[in-house]
Amino acid sequence: MDRIVEAYIGEYASGKSENAVNRAVALKKAGHDVTLVDLDLVEPVYTLRPLKAMLTDMGINVIAWTTEETLGLGEAGSVLHPAMRWALRNKGDVILDIGYGARGSSILNLLEGVEDEKNFRVILVVNTLRPMTDTVEKIVEYHNESGPAHGLIANTHMGDDTELSQIIQGYEIVKKVSQKLEIPVDALAVDERFADAFPNGTWDHGVPVRVLKRFLPMGFW
Amino acid sequence: MATKPIEKDTHAFVTGNEVVAWAALAADAQIMYGYPITPQNEIMHYWTRLAPKYDRKFLQTEDELSAGFTTCGGVLTGTRSFTATAGPGTILMQEPITMAEMMRIPIVVVVQQRGGPSTATVIYSQQEARMCCYGGNGEGFRVVYSSSSHQDLYDFTIKAFNTAWKYRFPTIVLGDGYQAKMREAVTMYDPASRGISMVETEQFLGAPGLPGTDREPHFHKNTYNTEEELLEVVNKLKEDYDAVRAEIEEHECEYIDDAEIVIVGHGVVSRAVKEAVKLLRKEGYKAGYFRPITLRPFPGTALRKAVEGKKDIVVVESALGQLKQFMTEELYGCTVPITGYFKPGKGVSSAEIVEKVKSMTK
Repeated sequence: MDRIVEAYIGEYASGKSENAVNRAVALKKAGHDVTLVDLDLVEPVYTLRPLKAMLTDMGINVIAWTTEETLGLGEAGSVLHPAMRWALRNKGDVILDIGYGARGSSILNLLEGVEDEKNFRVILVVNTLRPMTDTVEKIVEYHNESGPAHGLIANTHMGDDTELSQIIQGYEIVKKVSQKLEIPVDALAVDERFADAFPNGTWDHGVPVRVLKRFLPMGFW
Repeated sequence: MATKPIEKDTHAFVTGNEVVAWAALAADAQIMYGYPITPQNEIMHYWTRLAPKYDRKFLQTEDELSAGFTTCGGVLTGTRSFTATAGPGTILMQEPITMAEMMRIPIVVVVQQRGGPSTATVIYSQQEARMCCYGGNGEGFRVVYSSSSHQDLYDFTIKAFNTAWKYRFPTIVLGDGYQAKMREAVTMYDPASRGISMVETEQFLGAPGLPGTDREPHFHKNTYNTEEELLEVVNKLKEDYDAVRAEIEEHECEYIDDAEIVIVGHGVVSRAVKEAVKLLRKEGYKAGYFRPITLRPFPGTALRKAVEGKKDIVVVESALGQLKQFMTEELYGCTVPITGYFKPGKGVSSAEIVEKVKSMTK
């Protein structure tokens, strides 16, 4: 079977990291070898690092800076970890969480072997309740600035205040973007609270529903 | 080109920094001056992304000293201007802020507090309260709103522009690293839809008309050569400040009437205090909640009224007693003991506060 290599990009606070972590955990549970990479050169301290130990215990190969390694570097600690550069040489699936400071997919040229990776997919995560990506036009504009992406994830939510109707409205907007850009909606992502609303595990004639457990509240921010 | 960034109520999922940028747009701020520093960076990031869409401007300066002074400069031309900073940046901004005090320049500064002393941690703290109220040489003739939520950041950023331009004192919106980075639901609105009209700006320099003939000459200066002159000027500043402080002071409180113990916190910590008071009430403890919203001018009269005759006061903060110092000064002569629960640079949970109160009443 071909391996899965996915890079998650998206607007700041769109849910990139949450989707990347959940994807890695799901693939691991399905028996895959999984490497999860925290590729954020601006604020490498604040996303996956606090979760690293827990994810490692699950058997995921996590490539992220540890606190000890960056001690004393402060805000100057924004350097590419060598293991990140060579991340694609790991066996099995590779999930990349692309930090917001990275200007979208442009950072991916730092990865050795990216041009030969035939399964490589860039996935744009969209929360339509984020003001910069709340209309079809704005999302297309965002995609054109930070993409190109091979697929979309509809990730509309309002944190603890989410309502099912918002999730569905958000999906409809992302679907229109998908038609306009001619790239598929890879999944509809929903918090586990809403899992029961999607008993088939799909939505809208076969779009997979990814049920998210929220790991990031365990992170710093 | 759209002129109104927020036309109808928008329920959105945002970070605290982002909501400040939107609020400044909604408040009709025309320009931001800034220099990057964590954790306020995204105020700049979002402002620079949004500004061109709404015909607003941005200037990145070489440091915070310059960001503060250029904000003063923007205001002198009659332009609604603001800046944002944190930690060491707030230190550098004390000089321009004091100039704004002396020359009555209505600048707006958003501060997302981080830990200290010195460069320290970039994440979170409440250790900039004292500096924001009283930093710099002078007497602290400023207004400081301490926000506790994203809705506060939106509301008080808009309000700060009006407070500054109405009263002509530099006005600070005090957030922190948690509020800056946290994601939360917020309702963004056009101020006009809430009956808020933005106070008109006025040109300090180069105003129309011939000075002395068509209008009174404007004479703005921050340098006084004799001690007598300075004494007179500072006393006049104090008189002006005292005349309006009661109008500016803001606080909120709950469960005070029958409370035996009053728990006080400001900013994001006040949310934990509020929650703790609710939990304590459920267990039969007579706890009350008090939150100063303006740290400067401090709502001392309201605080005194809230604590008079109570058994205990607990003050909770992510600093080593900066809020307590403000309170102690306001409560001089009051014999209710004040106990501090201080965690400089660290967040406080409602559960800890409940434990603290329970341990005191054993």
